[in-house]
Amino acid sequence: MSQILKRLKVPPNSASLEEARTRTFEFFRMCCRSIPHVMEIYNLHDVVTPSQLRSAAAAEVRKNANITNPKVIDMLLFKGMEELMNIVNQSKQRHHIVGQYVVGNQGLVQDVSAKDRDASNFLKKFYSSNYS
Amino acid sequence: MGLGLLASRALRSSRIIRNSTRTIVSTPELKNADAAAAAAAAADAPSDLPKRNPVGGARVHLPNPDDVIEVFVDGYPVKIPKGMTVLQACEIAGVDIPRFCYHSRLSIAGNCRMCLVEVEKSPKPVASCAMPALPGMKIKTDTPIAKKAREGVMEFLLMNHPLDCPICDQGGECDLQDQSMAFGSDRGRFTEMKRSVVDKNLGPLVKTVMTRCIQCTRCVRFASEVAGVEDLGMLGRGSGEEIGTYVEKLMTSELSGNVIDICPVGALTSKPFAFKARNWELKGTESIDVTDAVGSNIRIDSRGPEVMRVVPRLNEDINEEWISDKTRFFYDGLKRQRLNDPMIRGADGRFQAVSWRDALAIVAEVMHQIKPEEIVGVAGKLSDAESMMALKDLLNKMGSNNIFCEGNGMSPNADLRSGYIMNTSISGLEKADAFLLVGTQPRVEAAMVNARIRKTVKATNAKVGYVGPAADFNYDHEHLGTDPQTLVEIAKGSHPFSSALKNAKNPVIIVGAGVFDRDDKDAVFAAVDTIAKNNNVVRPDWNGLNVLLLNAAQAAALDLGLVPESDKCIESAKFVYLMGADDVNLDKLPDDAFVVYQGHHGDRGVYRANVILPASAFTEKEGIYENTEGCAQITMPAVPTVGDARDDWKIVRALSEVAGVALPYDSLGAIRSRIKTVAPNLLEVDERQPATFSTSLRPEVSQKVSATPFTPAVENFYMTDAITRASKIMAQCSALLKK
Ligand code: SF4
Ligand code: FES
Repeated sequence: MSQILKRLKVPPNSASLEEARTRTFEFFRMCCRSIPHVMEIYNLHDVVTPSQLRSAAAAEVRKNANITNPKVIDMLLFKGMEELMNIVNQSKQRHHIVGQYVVGNQGLVQDVSAKDRDASNFLKKFYSSNYS
Repeated sequence: MGLGLLASRALRSSRIIRNSTRTIVSTPELKNADAAAAAAAAADAPSDLPKRNPVGGARVHLPNPDDVIEVFVDGYPVKIPKGMTVLQACEIAGVDIPRFCYHSRLSIAGNCRMCLVEVEKSPKPVASCAMPALPGMKIKTDTPIAKKAREGVMEFLLMNHPLDCPICDQGGECDLQDQSMAFGSDRGRFTEMKRSVVDKNLGPLVKTVMTRCIQCTRCVRFASEVAGVEDLGMLGRGSGEEIGTYVEKLMTSELSGNVIDICPVGALTSKPFAFKARNWELKGTESIDVTDAVGSNIRIDSRGPEVMRVVPRLNEDINEEWISDKTRFFYDGLKRQRLNDPMIRGADGRFQAVSWRDALAIVAEVMHQIKPEEIVGVAGKLSDAESMMALKDLLNKMGSNNIFCEGNGMSPNADLRSGYIMNTSISGLEKADAFLLVGTQPRVEAAMVNARIRKTVKATNAKVGYVGPAADFNYDHEHLGTDPQTLVEIAKGSHPFSSALKNAKNPVIIVGAGVFDRDDKDAVFAAVDTIAKNNNVVRPDWNGLNVLLLNAAQAAALDLGLVPESDKCIESAKFVYLMGADDVNLDKLPDDAFVVYQGHHGDRGVYRANVILPASAFTEKEGIYENTEGCAQITMPAVPTVGDARDDWKIVRALSEVAGVALPYDSLGAIRSRIKTVAPNLLEVDERQPATFSTSLRPEVSQKVSATPFTPAVENFYMTDAITRASKIMAQCSALLKK
């Protein structure tokens, strides 16, 4: 796998939005294909399932769904490719993967318990930190 | 080769020539100082000089118009009271004279000669710090002669001063460094060996590098005049002169740390701070000390998340410019034993870290299962006014009114403010001419108040009578007795000391807060009231009846009305909320009681706790503290909180919401407006609020004083609260210095 990825070249700019779109799907598929390998090399079987990782990758892609400029999409694709390469080449360590894609941005403390939906702003801030 | 040799020869010969004319004075016009001075004098005929302001924005108070004289500083006329020195006159004229040995709070030594100025018609430059200003004196501070004199003095001082600056802790805040940059020569002529001096061991607080000493004797004068210990002295003469303790001995004063500040060079530096940081990387935060009830003004110097040192701030009304050793060195306790996560005690008796959500949910649930009158809240000695207000409101909302502050006893008298604060005010003590100390050892309870009393005793020869256990004083006093019976005798007038009180113009009575814990406290206060009445201690123009509190939280707690409903509330409690309370006696607490400890240190309160809620220490939060004289002051956050800790009032506020009785404020401003409705004086920050009524309104008491002697209120000066008990330096001090 890593051998294939290594040979990847930066493609020329997408001519139209349509082309950028196809490229994005291509990229996402490549991510999905590398997931079993990633699970293996980072020993992630006991913390996450492939489908969870897939939805994490999809979420990353969807984050930028509103972008229409093909140049920007190309740039983001390049960055995504770089990240994927880093992961597949094991330039990262296990805690990076766990921190970024398994636990996610909200951290270990999950703030969304059903009880404090109706909590005041003060209490919500209180739970997250002493400041602000 | 020939050319090179020639060139080097030429260089060498020219150097020889230069050497022969080389003088220490680096600016050419100074080489002929007298001629230049004459020329300058002829040239200046100042007509309208710009208005100058005194150094440091000081205000000059001219009490008696007859005693005012006029002098001229650099041609600028200033009016000063008679008896001021030339140096003070220059300061009023806005000219800062360089100095090493002169210190405004110490006696004048006049031995460094750095303050030389020129005075017209005097043959030589005069040492301005020791020379009284005379009417019409023409002082010149900026003439070539004065400059030359300073340059010469600097050269002599630097002769034996090591070139240590890169490894010296004083570097960057060193008077010698600054003044040699400003007034010194640009080169040295000294080629011999420098003198060296053996370092002295002054104990765990003050580090000495005696080779750096410039013999200004400030430290000697401080020790004997302010601290009142004759520990330091000058040995030897000439180049053999040394500062030392005569015999191998530690400096045993509770104010010894101040010699670090007054030493103009790096000879006396802080031992715990040695090589820890450079002063220019520190961030200073102006704050308040909470280790005793004086509320000394301090600056907390921090680097990143760490408190590096504590130094005093000038406040004439409270601590002048000194602080006690406890205040200065307890800060390492802020790094040890800290609570950083909410914790719950499991079935096996071990604490387990949980999230805030779980911890608060458990506390709220337990609180609701308990009858309101069995809920008790205890505020600790380091609590700020905001959190005490919040805790009282929370408990009241739960239906309980059993809340008190440790140290105030179980039935404090919170109705009359004059009955628990220092009515004379700390600076007002200086007007007193007789003291009666009842059950208080100010030296360990409030070192800065003791320094004031000592200052007064030294200045006016005031008489001091003391009733209490044998104690250590650093001024003359009469030990009148050990139990309250003595008070009754003085009240009756049958005791020899009553005549001293009677004859005094401004008598002062100071009752220690240790009396609050006595069973016969009402009778003791009644006896004190009688003494006050018989001796005219409380008059419209003078209120000499004082209570000296022990802890930073006490005065604010009484102002906010933290008084328990029943004095047996601990015995019957099922739920105890300890807000930083470590010294409250929990022996009588039933075993099945649920204890919540909210605080910043794993100290005594934690041993019995079921739930721990980590809070921030006073260096990490903004909070109002009221000191023993009734002056409210605010601490400022210097460093971030540790771990998952939260500010005290926020925890109480959050708990109230989880428990379903949300308090109506969620910001510091809002909680302060709530305080305003209860005790508006707490918001008059930095302004002492005297009590309005005097104690004559007190109800009659039928209680009789008991014969139990007074006990010391503070066992160990160095360890009085959770932070100081966690401090390693304070532990060393108590091991080495406790007498
Ligand atoms: S040790 Fe410091 S304060 Fe004491 S005489 Fe020397 S220079 Fe002055
Ligand atoms: S300051 Fe005047 S002699 Fe030292």
